[in-house]
Amino acid sequence: MMRKGIIIVLMLVSTLSVRAERDWLRDGLEIPDVEVVAQRPMRDIGVEQTKIDSAMLRQNISLSMADILSFNSSIFVKNSGRATLSTVSFRGTSSSHTQVLWNGLRINSPMLGMTDFSMIPSFLVDKATIVHGSSSVAETGGGLGGAIKLATAPIMQEGFGLHFVQGIGSFSTFDDFLRLTYAKGRWQSSTRLVFSTSKNDYRYCNYDKKENIYDSENNIIGQYHPVERNRNGAFCDAHILQELYYKTKQGDRLSLNAWYTDSYRELPLLTTDYGSTPDYENYQREHSFRGVVGYDHIRRNWRVGARAGYVYTWLGYDYSYNKVVATRSRSTINTIYGSVAGNYSFEEAKVLLSGNISLHENFVCSSDGTEGYVADRAEFSAVVSARWQPMERLGVAATLREEVYGTRWSLPIPMVAIEGVVSQKGNVMLRASASRNYRAPSLNDLYFRPGGNPNLRNEMGWSYDAGISSEVGRSDIYKLKVSASWFESWIDDWIMWLPTNKGFFSPRNVKKVHSCGVEAKASLAVRLAKDWRLELNGSAAWTPSISVGEAISAGDNSIGKQLPYTPRFSASVTGRLTYRSWSLLYKWNHYSERYTMSSNDVSLTGKLPPYFMNNIELEKQFSFRWAELSLKGTINNLFNEEYISVLSHPMPGINFELFVGIRPKWGKM
Amino acid sequence: MRCLHQIIVAVALLLTSCMRWEYGLMEQFNATADGVFITNEGNFNYGGATLSYYDPTIKSVENELFYRANAMKLGDVAQSMVVRNGVGWVVVNNSHVVFAIDTETFREVGRITNLPSPRYICFVSDEKAYISQIDSDRIIIVNPKTFTVTGEIVCPMTTEYRTGSTEQMVLLGEYLYVACWSYQKRILKIDTRTDEVVDYADIALQPKSIVADKNGKLWVVSDGGYEDNVIGYESAKLCRLNPDNLEVERVFELGLNSAGDATRSASRLKIDDSGETLYWINGGVWRMEIDAEELPTEPFVAPIVGSQRSLFYALGIAPATEEVYVADALDYQQRSIVYRYSSSGELLDRFTTGVITGDFCWKR
Repeated sequence: MMRKGIIIVLMLVSTLSVRAERDWLRDGLEIPDVEVVAQRPMRDIGVEQTKIDSAMLRQNISLSMADILSFNSSIFVKNSGRATLSTVSFRGTSSSHTQVLWNGLRINSPMLGMTDFSMIPSFLVDKATIVHGSSSVAETGGGLGGAIKLATAPIMQEGFGLHFVQGIGSFSTFDDFLRLTYAKGRWQSSTRLVFSTSKNDYRYCNYDKKENIYDSENNIIGQYHPVERNRNGAFCDAHILQELYYKTKQGDRLSLNAWYTDSYRELPLLTTDYGSTPDYENYQREHSFRGVVGYDHIRRNWRVGARAGYVYTWLGYDYSYNKVVATRSRSTINTIYGSVAGNYSFEEAKVLLSGNISLHENFVCSSDGTEGYVADRAEFSAVVSARWQPMERLGVAATLREEVYGTRWSLPIPMVAIEGVVSQKGNVMLRASASRNYRAPSLNDLYFRPGGNPNLRNEMGWSYDAGISSEVGRSDIYKLKVSASWFESWIDDWIMWLPTNKGFFSPRNVKKVHSCGVEAKASLAVRLAKDWRLELNGSAAWTPSISVGEAISAGDNSIGKQLPYTPRFSASVTGRLTYRSWSLLYKWNHYSERYTMSSNDVSLTGKLPPYFMNNIELEKQFSFRWAELSLKGTINNLFNEEYISVLSHPMPGINFELFVGIRPKWGKM
Repeated sequence: MRCLHQIIVAVALLLTSCMRWEYGLMEQFNATADGVFITNEGNFNYGGATLSYYDPTIKSVENELFYRANAMKLGDVAQSMVVRNGVGWVVVNNSHVVFAIDTETFREVGRITNLPSPRYICFVSDEKAYISQIDSDRIIIVNPKTFTVTGEIVCPMTTEYRTGSTEQMVLLGEYLYVACWSYQKRILKIDTRTDEVVDYADIALQPKSIVADKNGKLWVVSDGGYEDNVIGYESAKLCRLNPDNLEVERVFELGLNSAGDATRSASRLKIDDSGETLYWINGGVWRMEIDAEELPTEPFVAPIVGSQRSLFYALGIAPATEEVYVADALDYQQRSIVYRYSSSGELLDRFTTGVITGDFCWKR
């Protein structure tokens, strides 16, 4: 059983032979139970991607995708505290340069241009893939840094299933997860519920502040750094995800995915805030619905699929003092989506042709109670790709994408890639790709009132990368994979929101940025002894992201400097040791110093020191005749490190969580 | 075995290395010479406001003074500063606090906390001052001696948009005159003996800066809003007002603010020590005598041109010397550059301060 599981995992991670590709096309999601062959499917020719192990997505119910990505990749996760806005960026780009797809549906907010990963519980995701740099062109446009693909998947279990997890943690945190599944014949149904609530009032020593001790004459006679609680940080999030799958006799598949989110989050006060909490209200709410229906018609060497989706988002932000409302922002976003995709495999010629057209029609209504805007925009995208394997060890790929946002046509977006196995001993593969890419301004960039700038130009980038990978192992003994990539990208007309003399911010095309660097990954799965297994995964990235171009004016010191809030170096390691039903997981990550100024001045008040974060998790599974039980304990921030990710936003010290899970064995006893 | 031990030690160090905090020590300062304080807003919501001090005699600038003297942050968005009797009062908008510091040691001597959204402070006496608020229709009355809030004045607003707003203030005799800026059009007249609004007038869209000249007249710069603004969009104006009845006596049109041109916006009206010459920012720095009939045709300091134009954000006129200090906020994400000009327009010095320099405040 263990062996079969590892084989399946390894297959998901990296390999399917061309033969397997054809089998998959024919058989849908059934994974053939064969030994792994170290060849990539033709659709992955030239693609630089990182698939996150499904076990990592199921670590514990309290984790969001932001937590998963920060410990399982080298991409930069910027967050302002626990359960606050968390954005990801990679290869030195900004968060809006990361495109996010959920079951093929682009879920970057058309209004804001980015995705808040703290709002995506990892338990609602079955597959997560990071697509780096130019490789994202084949998936979606606008991913100047890359794309992250999230997807759900059908269960592989007949009958009725239930999985319930109860979590309880520090700071009055409670997490609940319930999954009900049912599969019979051609039908499958899955319902998942996630509920998380917390006071989130962790204690920290506030080094940004001092409390004064006064004498009777109001003279300061003493000062100290106060130990404070995170103020105004409570949250309550609820998610429900419904999936339905049907497979026809001929192998065609129908699917429905519907995900509803209801969130209430207070916005924590800065460490430098001298206001009194009871006098303030500062919170945001979100109600969102994402739904996708899909149809896939699958035949031996060709496949066509269609998707239709709808996204509804309501965002509310309220800020008031002494019951006097200063801001009451309300935004409603409706997106209708449709796409048709297909591919055809010429088996003799070893050519795979694919194409996809998609349309997102966005409607945004945004108001802060004083002013706002109403806008809509149709976003059309078409892409064709050809992949050719002229010989067993060589593959080439070419992709051409065209995008139309409103009335703006992008120039054609090309991507070319080549890869080849240079040594079968060690499965050493070389890969290189190049692409052009664009990102259109978000609707807030263009129309937000006040400050929106309808004259913004598209951001435009060129990126190149090359990489080497190797994979060795002995069946059921060990498997080692290593890879390294070099990349270089140029982004012109970078959009930034900057303050103005008018009292509000406004976006401008201000920067030309050159990023380059190296990403490295390694994974090792080894059987240490009977019943003992060790899995290690590591990644590291060195990403200088340099502002180039002309100085704004005579005193501009930003040219040739690293972009603010972008670490030059980041790394993460996870290690899992399992013994029978015991599992010990250790997670570690590191971000180097981040500058807060574009001039890279290192000042006393404006820098973010490097930090290392360590989490540990111990799990024990109990198998009874009537149910599987699991007991899991986690310690986050193991060494109680005092750290920050964003200036003046406090982060929690050591904290604990306990989880109890149950899976009844109804009808299987 | 030894190698294994070394690896274990190295890994342990890597895992446990703590973030290198520099909590800061309280530095000793003794700035007895005359100089100018410079408040730097920092980026909103990052708590990066700082205080700089420049000594023009020796052309020396010290940055991050508040932090260095007090070993704590100044806060989020240092908006303005006033010096009175050897105490500097720094208004920190998004930290809801006003800090009082000794102007020679830069050490804190007290603070007024829990203010809604403080912008400017104006003293009536040693025991009474007013603090305007951008997100409120109230002016907070404080006792600077005890650092306590003693009352508030509810102000009549022109429009109901937002919460109301009060901005810059000027004291003339027994009356306080207040410009109401954000989504407002109004100048208020408050009797400081009764703390009541005794008069008001709608004079222009978004009046932001207000000063009094040697003749006891009020001068106001309004920015005129911006395109699609809910309360309107008109030419920015420089107005002269009669303080007795708030009638507009003179109007100079300064042109439309353009939402697409961040460098052009009328703001930061200042007047020299003699009360005879007005200065303001509108792209460049402009200068005009109070009895002039027409606007000057050329700026006193033209914008400095790079790939884009300089973004003059703060302006100060040195008392006595009439030297002009103007700060270029550059890309708002790096230390501002301050240019110091003589009264004849000769560049005397330039120095870097903090992120988004917003105000100058002379020690004496």
